[in-house]
Amino acid sequence: MKLNIVGKNIIRVDAQAKVTGKALYPQDIYLDNMVYGKTVRSTKPHAYIKIDISEAEKVDGVLKVFTYKDIPNKNAHGVVLKDHEAFASKKVIRIGEPIAFIVAETQKICEEAYKKIKIDYEEIPAVFDPVEAMKEDAPKVHGDSNIIYHFKLRHGDIEEGKRKSKYIVENIYKSPMVEHAFLQPEAGLGYLEEDGTVVVVIATQYPHYDREEVAINLGLPEEKVKIINTNVGGAFGGREDISAQIHLALAAMVLKRPVKVIFSREESFLAHSKRHPMIMKYKTGADENGYLQYMEAEIIGDSGAHCSWAMNVLRKAGVHATGPYVIPHVKVDAYAVYTNNPYTGAMRGFGATQVPIAHEQQMDALAEKLGMNPIEFRMKNIFRRGSMTATGQILTDSVPLDRCLEAVDERFKFSQLWKEVK
Amino acid sequence: MDIKKVYNSKSVEEVIDLLGEYGKKAKVIAGGTDIVIALNKNVIEPEILIDISKIEELKGIREEDEYITIGSTTTFAEVVESQIFENNLYGLHKACKMVGSPQIRNKGTIGGNIANGSPAADSVPPLMALDSIVTLKSIDGIREISLEDYYLNPIKEKELLINIRFKRPKDNQILTFAKLGLRKALAISRLTLSSYIEFEDKTIDSIRVASGALAKFPMREKEVEDYLLGKSLEEKTIEGAIEVLRNSMDERLKGRSTLPYKRVAISTILREILEEALAIEEGVKAW
Amino acid sequence: MVNINFTVNGKPYEISIDENMRLIDVLRDELGLIGTKEGCGEGECGACTIIMDGETVNSCLVMGFQADGSNIVTIEGLEKDGQLHPVQRAYMEAGAVQCGFCIPGMVLSTKALLDKNPSPSDEEIREGISGNLCRCTGYNKMLIATKKAIEYMKGE
Repeated sequence: MKLNIVGKNIIRVDAQAKVTGKALYPQDIYLDNMVYGKTVRSTKPHAYIKIDISEAEKVDGVLKVFTYKDIPNKNAHGVVLKDHEAFASKKVIRIGEPIAFIVAETQKICEEAYKKIKIDYEEIPAVFDPVEAMKEDAPKVHGDSNIIYHFKLRHGDIEEGKRKSKYIVENIYKSPMVEHAFLQPEAGLGYLEEDGTVVVVIATQYPHYDREEVAINLGLPEEKVKIINTNVGGAFGGREDISAQIHLALAAMVLKRPVKVIFSREESFLAHSKRHPMIMKYKTGADENGYLQYMEAEIIGDSGAHCSWAMNVLRKAGVHATGPYVIPHVKVDAYAVYTNNPYTGAMRGFGATQVPIAHEQQMDALAEKLGMNPIEFRMKNIFRRGSMTATGQILTDSVPLDRCLEAVDERFKFSQLWKEVK
Repeated sequence: MDIKKVYNSKSVEEVIDLLGEYGKKAKVIAGGTDIVIALNKNVIEPEILIDISKIEELKGIREEDEYITIGSTTTFAEVVESQIFENNLYGLHKACKMVGSPQIRNKGTIGGNIANGSPAADSVPPLMALDSIVTLKSIDGIREISLEDYYLNPIKEKELLINIRFKRPKDNQILTFAKLGLRKALAISRLTLSSYIEFEDKTIDSIRVASGALAKFPMREKEVEDYLLGKSLEEKTIEGAIEVLRNSMDERLKGRSTLPYKRVAISTILREILEEALAIEEGVKAW
Repeated sequence: MVNINFTVNGKPYEISIDENMRLIDVLRDELGLIGTKEGCGEGECGACTIIMDGETVNSCLVMGFQADGSNIVTIEGLEKDGQLHPVQRAYMEAGAVQCGFCIPGMVLSTKALLDKNPSPSDEEIREGISGNLCRCTGYNKMLIATKKAIEYMKGE
């Protein structure tokens, strides 16, 4: 069979527009009669709020300052749980949470009005450590418990695994919060079509979710909401949650003028999700021949103030907790926990990125105890065709990890150097 | 930003008159790499902005008699491209080459690096090690001050930084520089050192050492200078100098969270400037 | 308002601008040259890179009025007679373009480098684009693209 695309070096369809500077991102679009928006965000991690917009609305050139009171229908969104408010109503739960949206004739007038917004914060105890947050008496971010999700994996018999393990290593690993820092800060436009359809122009990973969220918050049927995705200036998971979509749609609907918003880099940092920091407590055991016998892991992911994809991310971390190794007896408990930190969500790897920090160092530590070359130790234990994962999946197709390890070993001369050092 | 009036000045006199008239309402802009950020974030809010980057008198590097004079609006890129800063003046070339990024070096100026007053200004330690003199001008006249004393008596509202000059070193007088940043490009210095050493064979006949980011502003490290003076530059001298500098850092940076890190890092940086000086003295080309 | 005269992409302009505008604002909001991007507003990312009097600068760190009398090239000025500049072509072919937001600045930094140094070493290429951040590629594709561009430019 002759293939036109597969195996060929194909130039991206959008490459020419991008190298010539013609590709449009939301900040590049200018519409007639356009006004500008600016988001007012919480500066406290946990506080009851009272908002006074009266002085700001008096500034010449300000069209309106939107708050939670202006949301026509549901003031709630979120990819899994609807635990974000489009505008904080009673309580802010993180720094950066939207409280109001100023719309004015120019960006400069927005800045002026911004200084006149008065927010009275009554601070309440906050929780920043997910381990603390799991305790009964910890301050609660939402509802009665900060534990959003508990993923349990039980495979084989842990006690038997322990008995068979001559060597056991036990360690705690911590991975940090990470910012996507996609190069194009969030920006967008909202406008009305003649038939009243609300249009939001934005760089997003989920135009279909955005449409649903906007429709629900504004109380519109979905066919009256249109999301136009422009070029997306990097996302890496950071554009999966709502940023300015609801604010823009609301302002356009009420003011009947095109509204544009551009986040600064700092605001971008405050606005979108981050990678989940994880605390990973691992116990791994091998027998005297270097075969893995058991693994016990407790993984705690800090979800920050919102759930976003916490359950999916912690589930994935739990599923991948063993790494690509056959381990007959496994126990994993992965938790997603609310805190008053910046919220975390999707980011490249989606939970599978953090756990290798733990399981690979466990492999090295065990190999050291066994006095074995860590490559040789891994070769004894890796997934191959026919292996069973801790979740019970039989790997029937392509599992070329052995070839990969061999190639890496050869090029790095790792085993050779290891022998020399020994 | 709420600027009411801007000037594209063509002469020093015009700038001085404007500064005399408007005082603190006015700000001078040259390369803009620091001030535009401050303006954009409303950290400073001048009414008048005076561009000095087009004034011929303030541009470029001149060699006159025994002095080398750098005009205040000379860019880092111009220093890097100048052949004057090869061989024994390599330290200034190296410092300017490590500033920011190509874009920043094309705009940022030596005068701005001094006038902005940052403790981490990369070009300042080598200029201080050269015992440079800063010339400032205002409607009240000319003020000359050594760069070492400048930070105690920095630029005033009505003053314009005209140039900086230092004595051209002899072949056995060598300037070196080393920087610790978090990455290669666009890193604000965590630690910089520069030394100016006059060698008599391997023996240090005279020396000046200046540091950046180790205090509120760049400063001379006199204890290290005293220790090294008259000694032969060899391994145990370098080890000793590291200890001396650590001791003075312990006093100066007591209680700072960065101290434990800087204490360790300083050894590599101090070693680099001293070993590089010796290498250049021995005829090794440093670039 | 202040009057400025300058040349952008070979075209002379005489315009009146707000004193508070940065050069990037003038280019984008006044001249509609939206290929110049703002990624950080403080000279860290290089997305707003333009060539001003032959040198790359961050247009977010230059005040608009300072551009008086200058000669500016933006990404829109690289094509000649409908033909892409060799650097643009090489970036496309090497797969160095992903999200694209860094690309105008990255291409201009590469062009300015090759204008000064037609056969740079790998180290010099990396140094030449060290003021331009990309979060997609990991930069190796830019290195490959630049080497391609060098070949194209030799062939011209």
